[in-house]
Amino acid sequence: MPFTDIAVAVQISFTYFTVFYLTGLGGLFSERSGIVNIGLEGLMIVGTVTGAFGVRFFTDTVGLGSVWGPILGLLFGALCGAIFAGVHAVATITFRVDHIVSGVVINLVAIGLARFLSSAFFNGQSTQSDPGGPHLARLDIPGLSALPGGLDRAFEGLSPMVIVAALMVIPVWYSLNRLRWGLRLRSCGENPEATRSLGVSVPLYRYQGVLLSGAFAGLSGAFLAAEIIGNWREGQTLGLGFIALAALIISNWNPIRLMFFAWLFGFAFAIPLRLQDAPVISLLPEQFIRMIPYIVTIVAIAGFVGRVRPPAAAGRAYEGAGGS
Amino acid sequence: MSAQGMASPITVPRARPAWLESFVGQLLALLASFGIALLIGSLLILAYGENPIEVYRSIFDASLGSADGLGYVFAIATPLIFSALAVSVCFKGGMFNIGVEGQYLVAMIAAAVAELNLDFLPGFLLVPAVLLAAMFGGMIWAAIPAVLKVKRGAHEVVTTIMLNAIALSLVGWALNGPLKYNDAPEGAFVDLRSNVFPDKGLVGDLGSVFGVTPGAHLSWLVFLAIAAAIIVWFLIRRTRLGYEARAVGSSPGSAKAGGVSIGSTQIRLFLISGALAGLIGMQQILADRGYLPLNYVPLLGFLGIGVAFLGQNNPIGIIFAAILWGILSRGEVALQISSQVPREFIIILQGVLILTVVIIYQIARRRLAARQLQQAGMAGELGDSDAPEESAGPRGPEDTGAEALEPVEEKRI
Repeated sequence: MPFTDIAVAVQISFTYFTVFYLTGLGGLFSERSGIVNIGLEGLMIVGTVTGAFGVRFFTDTVGLGSVWGPILGLLFGALCGAIFAGVHAVATITFRVDHIVSGVVINLVAIGLARFLSSAFFNGQSTQSDPGGPHLARLDIPGLSALPGGLDRAFEGLSPMVIVAALMVIPVWYSLNRLRWGLRLRSCGENPEATRSLGVSVPLYRYQGVLLSGAFAGLSGAFLAAEIIGNWREGQTLGLGFIALAALIISNWNPIRLMFFAWLFGFAFAIPLRLQDAPVISLLPEQFIRMIPYIVTIVAIAGFVGRVRPPAAAGRAYEGAGGS
Repeated sequence: MSAQGMASPITVPRARPAWLESFVGQLLALLASFGIALLIGSLLILAYGENPIEVYRSIFDASLGSADGLGYVFAIATPLIFSALAVSVCFKGGMFNIGVEGQYLVAMIAAAVAELNLDFLPGFLLVPAVLLAAMFGGMIWAAIPAVLKVKRGAHEVVTTIMLNAIALSLVGWALNGPLKYNDAPEGAFVDLRSNVFPDKGLVGDLGSVFGVTPGAHLSWLVFLAIAAAIIVWFLIRRTRLGYEARAVGSSPGSAKAGGVSIGSTQIRLFLISGALAGLIGMQQILADRGYLPLNYVPLLGFLGIGVAFLGQNNPIGIIFAAILWGILSRGEVALQISSQVPREFIIILQGVLILTVVIIYQIARRRLAARQLQQAGMAGELGDSDAPEESAGPRGPEDTGAEALEPVEEKRI
């Protein structure tokens, strides 16, 4: 079955797509509102540990069953991501700390916070939880999962979150391009002074953008830990948040293009997991195959970055009315 | 620092000399950050039903209360000083080298290759050769994001993170392939590592001089770290490159207009940063283990970012920040022995401390900038009148000077 491996690789790429797309959308809301957020990785880390705890807590401890338990657990991860993003929001919007400095601190603090929460949640285990946590029932996509020749494998046994993430493009695109709220949010990222002159509170919209980015990144982390891996482990995000950020940059801060690049990077991650026996790739040592997704990201970012235009005011401190 | 403040062409009435104002301001900001962090820490300790004063005292006793404790603190601080210096050099030029982690991993491979291939050299040549190899390894890994940034505009935060992941795989490959040990007896269970380095290629134990237990692995690398901090201070403050770096970091536009080649400055800063990053792993492989292990202590590069922020990117501040970090890390041991508070508490305390330092310094800096603007405006008005000498009088109404800081923006140029 020559296609089976490729089909399985595509299936894996869908799960990684979900991680990158959700996190990337988080970055999108934040940066479109004018706040650069390189703390996505840290927000994901908080999502992994709280999400892994949440699904267990709501499924087993509260006893909500295998549908609402995981759903509420994932949402708990999103909520905790949003709360932690509040730190970034307060630092950058209220205290006007440099966005990158604050983002780096967020990533740094997240590692410690995750250990702390983990030892509180999981009986003193500070770097992992017990494997085999509850997750949502797997889905086969109707129609596509009946393809012949092994191709069906690509569309079988997917987490429902994959579908949710893919469908997320509709509300995100609509809210940013058609709703007054989204247009105002974007104008905060392009020209906050002009936005303010229209009577819009720039800090209010920026807070919403950053908190949303925390919710999305937290959800993504929770999905990674609870749905894909089944438990929380220290270091399981290993730069995925930054890859999502790279996908966001290359996609020119556009939620539709972001879908494609999130999937492309997702496929790069599937290569070491599933295509290590493919021609050419099989000649490389195992450790070099594992480098492929990261090399792809570097090449992509170096090749595309000159052709994109970030939101004009992203990264710039907004002095607000009256300055200081 | 005082000289620059004094040299300002606008003389404004001041109650205190500039250096004192700056010093008092720095001290107050530092104390405020500390106070808030300790307060939040106390609340956490109370939540665990323990007495904050006793917990803090046990941390203090474990770190500063004995010669052994001090030895551990300085041994922990050694790699962190190199790491934070590496971060701060790039930061001076307005760049974020998040790739210190990967640079020191590659440097450890380079050092191991040098140790195992140059063992014909006498010790006094071998150790410097190994240190140079490590610095070279770090520089190579730092050159990649630097060139990608300058030539292609790829942001160094993304590329360095990717290179960290690649470096991680590279160590795995080296230890499974070319550097894999073959000096263990057949059938013996050994963790994956390189061959053991020759004794003459290791740095000597310094602890015995001060009566510190050999278990602390205190080595003379701590002096090298302090020397590196002084060299970096000199480089940033007293050389042309340092001047250009600070110009590029604070205002690339004006730097360019002033004839500074931004790209070349950025690449040189990244190379220096990589060389410093290369020395991070030496404490571990030359003073502690004596070989390159697969289970090396990770995250030293990331901790360096925190230490650099704590030290406000000042090379001398970094030394103290690293020692403080060492005290807190050593405190983990105390917590395990004498209290119910989990050791992760220390990590939270370190994180809160970085956050408060970053935010409070930002507030203080803005207040001072606003005040200076006000004073400059006032001096301008005075200058319009006929007698500028009058401005020497004690006029300034807002001149309380207590919470003031010397603005970094001004210090940079």
